[in-house]
Amino acid sequence: MERHQNRETRTPRNNVVVHRRRKSKSYRLSYRSGLGAADSRLGWSPALTARRLNTSRKAAGISNIAERVDPGQLALLVKTEWQLSYVTPLHQFRHTQLKSYARQLSAFIAAGKQQGLAVEVEGLQTTFRVSFSLVQGMTQSDEDAESVLVQIHSKRLFARQDEPQKPVWSGWLTCINGNPDYLRALPKDFVCLPLFGCSGADGLSALVKSWFQQSFDCCFGLLEISHTSLQWLMALWTNCHAESGIQHLKMIWTLPAAPPLQVTYTVDPEDAWELWSSVRKGKGGGGGGEEEEEAGENYIDIEEVTSFMQGLKSHFYRHFRLDLSAGSLNQVSTALGSAKYSGRMKVPSTRELCQMLSVFALLIFVNVLFFFFSDLQQPIHDHHPDAADRVRPPQNAHLIERIQTLMPPENTIAAFIWQKLLQLVLVFIRNEAKHYLSLIFNIK
Amino acid sequence: MDDSAKRLLQRLMRRIPTPTLRSALEKWGRLTTEQQKSMDFTQSKWALTERLLGICEVNSAIFSEIQINVNQGMWYAFQLMDPEDDAKSVDLTQFKEQFKSHLRELVRNVSIKMKKHTDEAVWIRIAWGDTFSRPNHLKPTYIVHYLQTPYVFVTSITSKQKPLLSQALVLSTRYQAIKDANLSGRKLTAIRDLLMKKYQQVFPTKYPIPPPENNQTISNQHIEKEQAELAANRLQMACEAFGGGMLPQLQSAVYKLETKFRDHSNKTMTEREEPFRCVVKFTSTNLLESFRHCASSGIASTPVTPLLSCIPLKGRNYFLITDNGPGPSSQRGQPQV
Repeated sequence: MERHQNRETRTPRNNVVVHRRRKSKSYRLSYRSGLGAADSRLGWSPALTARRLNTSRKAAGISNIAERVDPGQLALLVKTEWQLSYVTPLHQFRHTQLKSYARQLSAFIAAGKQQGLAVEVEGLQTTFRVSFSLVQGMTQSDEDAESVLVQIHSKRLFARQDEPQKPVWSGWLTCINGNPDYLRALPKDFVCLPLFGCSGADGLSALVKSWFQQSFDCCFGLLEISHTSLQWLMALWTNCHAESGIQHLKMIWTLPAAPPLQVTYTVDPEDAWELWSSVRKGKGGGGGGEEEEEAGENYIDIEEVTSFMQGLKSHFYRHFRLDLSAGSLNQVSTALGSAKYSGRMKVPSTRELCQMLSVFALLIFVNVLFFFFSDLQQPIHDHHPDAADRVRPPQNAHLIERIQTLMPPENTIAAFIWQKLLQLVLVFIRNEAKHYLSLIFNIK
Repeated sequence: MDDSAKRLLQRLMRRIPTPTLRSALEKWGRLTTEQQKSMDFTQSKWALTERLLGICEVNSAIFSEIQINVNQGMWYAFQLMDPEDDAKSVDLTQFKEQFKSHLRELVRNVSIKMKKHTDEAVWIRIAWGDTFSRPNHLKPTYIVHYLQTPYVFVTSITSKQKPLLSQALVLSTRYQAIKDANLSGRKLTAIRDLLMKKYQQVFPTKYPIPPPENNQTISNQHIEKEQAELAANRLQMACEAFGGGMLPQLQSAVYKLETKFRDHSNKTMTEREEPFRCVVKFTSTNLLESFRHCASSGIASTPVTPLLSCIPLKGRNYFLITDNGPGPSSQRGQPQV
């Protein structure tokens, strides 16, 4: 549609400009349709080396995760809304010392309450209990660390003596679908559990996070799910409609009017599926022979995702002459799960849980990689000279020291490949990158 | 004063939010000035309730009238259709008698209170009961009808009660039918103003309205000059579509779209026979204000699409949009409401 040229609208803030740069290189997020593994691949055009990074990836399927994990523990993770954060690797975290950690955290919270640090925490009396448990099996490859579940149990105020304690706060740390090269590059003392989810009172979340920061010298940050990621999720879910009905595709946009205008755009699932299929078929033979007919492999291209979104937006525009790009996408939800811009996600059942988690873990891996490229500041700076400065003091003193001794000198092929990878990734997630770039500038 | 009335008053007092308590009691108007003064509003609600109970023992007033001032539910608009010859000459007393008698014929044990306000509105409060139970005063239905107009506004009614009410209304107002006006909102005044066009309307004039003052520093004289005329045009068209000045406070609008998908870049979908079904809901604290701002700032393209300007034009906020029947369809499909 030519409307971008002959209309006086505000410059859209969150317009996906990725497709402009992507002529020869394409970032593909692949996954097997239905129950297959969410294999993450980064491939680029034959002009450069066609090296796939994850060549040694195990073929463990996502569905296997659902079978390997204790169903009782899985049940705790579904049907709750989790606030997601990313975590930098934990220094000297031992999976064998979970009981001791539970005691330490318990003492920390009690001390915090005494000092009045926590905001009024409802229902948390002095008789509370912290438990750390291992969620075995929630991994995809051998290098993924085992997930850990943290719960704080307490009784309601004025509860009877024999009433059992119920969890008033839950949190978990997990690593699914970790990049094996990155994981192998980590120094020995560090454990990587980059995705943290919590649900419960904010005061308790803050206390738990600060305990982790103190004990393991790590850094927490809110994982804002950018609108690009939300679009990915939308496309992924719609793609699953054939196997498990999505029941509806709902998007919530906020337009910057005065007062702010919220638009809830719900699409019938069959029609969303047809639109999605038409966008995929229209691409024709994309990457040479890798079509849906091949042994279960299924690639989704970013261009397909943006075309899908564009179709929905143009249908909306045709009726209301309101450009949704002028606003921001806040929430996407289907029967398979919901995700909000503020970093909240919810999944209704276990199969989708693992898929969602692996998508988020992938996002984090791509982001967290930046922490280690302090040697490549100059090329980064050349790409993004206008990166905004967000002040957050990095706390990974140990980690940075160790990493710097590991980095190869700049004139080796390995460094060159890392550099190329970085450029690719930078181009893809430009919005999220700015935040992390400032962290790199501060390191030194 | 019996126990149930006491309990009723206590529950009512609990429901009224404390800041509005004083004005609610004043509006109720059943307390004399001395009694009003003697109520110490710095006391707790419980103490106030006790005091009020004491006063009401003395007054033995109708407590339930207090509820009229607490309208927290959704109001729905209805329109009476096909007036008979003598519909215009129905006066207040006739309407009151007819309505009460018709409703009492349909429902046993119903309590009806009717009151006329100064602005030609008749307020009706119905507490529903049935053959076996007394009228339930805690869940009454409120109806507001403007005599000489075909509009009726209703709140808190169940689907079982609706046909009974419709029947009584139609018979007593001398119309033949009543239909849903597809308009709903939280504020009665807002939907009333919208439906009966009691807000400032703007008509196309030759002279554009000057854009409102803004305190931004002028960055570049040339840019400002160029943009000023365009901004003025946008503002004029926005005001024509939605109105000028204060706009009725509507909270939401729902569009059920069943039109065909048409996009030149997507051949497969364009050739599809079935409509693309979706539901779009707009919400805001003041919806019309948001739309007007979108139009004047350029987020919405001007001239404003008839789908949006339909809201104030027709006084509706629920729409079902389908394509035209078979025949040549234009680029935009000319959706038919």
